Amino acid sequence: MIGQTQKPIEEILGFLDGKEKIVLVGCGGCATIFHTGGEVEVKEMADTLSKHGKNILAAIAPPFGEFTCYAPWSKARLEQYRKEIEDCDAILMLSCGDGLQVVRELVLEDEYGLTKPIYPGTDPIGHMGGGPSLFREKCQQCGECLLGQYAGICPMTQCAKGLLNGPCGGSKNGKCEQEPEHDCAWILIYERLKKLGDLDKIKEFVAPKDYSKMKRPRQIEVAPL
Amino acid sequence: MSLQSVLESGKFAVTAEVGPLKGIDTTEITEAAELLRGRVDAANVTDQQSSVMRLGSMAICHLLQERGLEPVFQVTCRDRNRLALQSDLLSAYVLGIKNVLAITGDLPVLGDHPQAKPVYDLDSVQLLWVISRLNEGYDMVGNELQGKPSFFPGAVVNPGADTEASFELQLIKMEKKINAGARFFQTQAVYDVDSFVKFMKRVEGFEVPVLAGVIPLKSVGMARFMNKNVAGVFVPEELIKRMSEAEDKAQTGIQIAADLMKELKGICQGVHIMAIGWEKKVPQILDAAGL
Repeated sequence: MIGQTQKPIEEILGFLDGKEKIVLVGCGGCATIFHTGGEVEVKEMADTLSKHGKNILAAIAPPFGEFTCYAPWSKARLEQYRKEIEDCDAILMLSCGDGLQVVRELVLEDEYGLTKPIYPGTDPIGHMGGGPSLFREKCQQCGECLLGQYAGICPMTQCAKGLLNGPCGGSKNGKCEQEPEHDCAWILIYERLKKLGDLDKIKEFVAPKDYSKMKRPRQIEVAPL
Repeated sequence: MSLQSVLESGKFAVTAEVGPLKGIDTTEITEAAELLRGRVDAANVTDQQSSVMRLGSMAICHLLQERGLEPVFQVTCRDRNRLALQSDLLSAYVLGIKNVLAITGDLPVLGDHPQAKPVYDLDSVQLLWVISRLNEGYDMVGNELQGKPSFFPGAVVNPGADTEASFELQLIKMEKKINAGARFFQTQAVYDVDSFVKFMKRVEGFEVPVLAGVIPLKSVGMARFMNKNVAGVFVPEELIKRMSEAEDKAQTGIQIAADLMKELKGICQGVHIMAIGWEKKVPQILDAAGL
């Protein structure tokens, strides 16, 4: 999932300065789980913006499970509000940046031929798993998964320096020098490989990572569901 | 005699660290160079130590070289990707810099530009491997170099890691660094000689010279600060007591460093003095240690 927090209302009002008719779009995926763009938050944002004199033409909150970043779903959902979208001065997205850009490009531009101001209402902070309340970043989609070498713990993500050949000298009491609350990834890897009887793995030289697999923007084509 | 020759001949080596300042004033460093020349085998120049933006290591290494003091070019992986690291290494070499200390580098969030994007494209083991490739006449992807450098690569190790896992990991990584090409090691500061002896017993078989880190204590506060905040550094209570009872703290700090160095002489292959602002006192410390 894409972890996210809501942007400060002042920043949102700044985007919408001089714009009166607004359409809100939330997301039934990550933004619902992170309380930034589920049904509750879309309604709250509609109320807040109304209090600030905005005319909310539509407050679109896809039900839980309906991801706004999945174009077939957002196309179908937004089609019900096409008139409001065409009439509005701006769209505020209560979703991650994927949701915003899918709506901007694949719905507004490609489907409707519209060039409308569209603004983010959240600050996405990374791909993460966990829950129901604590979520942590575990994977950075490097394009060449290394978890098989490291006992299922990713040093690129869990180690603050992303080191591949062992820890720096900065761990104290098993914690990272950057985040004293955070366990040193390398100690976790060591302990787990030891329990698995596979400690020799940690002694192998790991060649420099092929970061061309992370060159942006990446894309992939698959058979439609 | 070069640092490499000193270490290869089995003589007890002495290196000292100098840290460039923020700005373009090199007076302090060139004055320190005058005092250190002839007293130490080489001087390490730190690479934006503690992630605080400063004058660069390569330029200062060059100034030391011009003044007849052999430099050790400290290179961290924090600020440069693999292109810049290789290019800077070659650039240093044509300026006459042969000794390189390959280090990971502190995190930018701990320094004065916490907003910086950390690089860490390579880690220290990979950087040592790259230096070995350069020494063979190739860049890291196998392209041939015009002219082959002959670097003398070194690395760091933290002998005072505080947990069993952390200590074992330091040894594993040390061995990986040796396999990748490290020819000498400089360590984090040592105050607890007993635990350092245990470390040296474990690494004896590696047959790579180890220069023990020595940081002269300036105050009781400094000792307590390091115990609390610096990973792998442990100043025993007895030394803290000696400092707290001392009338002349500076003299006592110098004497403690000298005593440590005398002890270390029988245990490892050299010492590396990190004076942190006391560079000009290094000759005094060496005098007191009889080095």
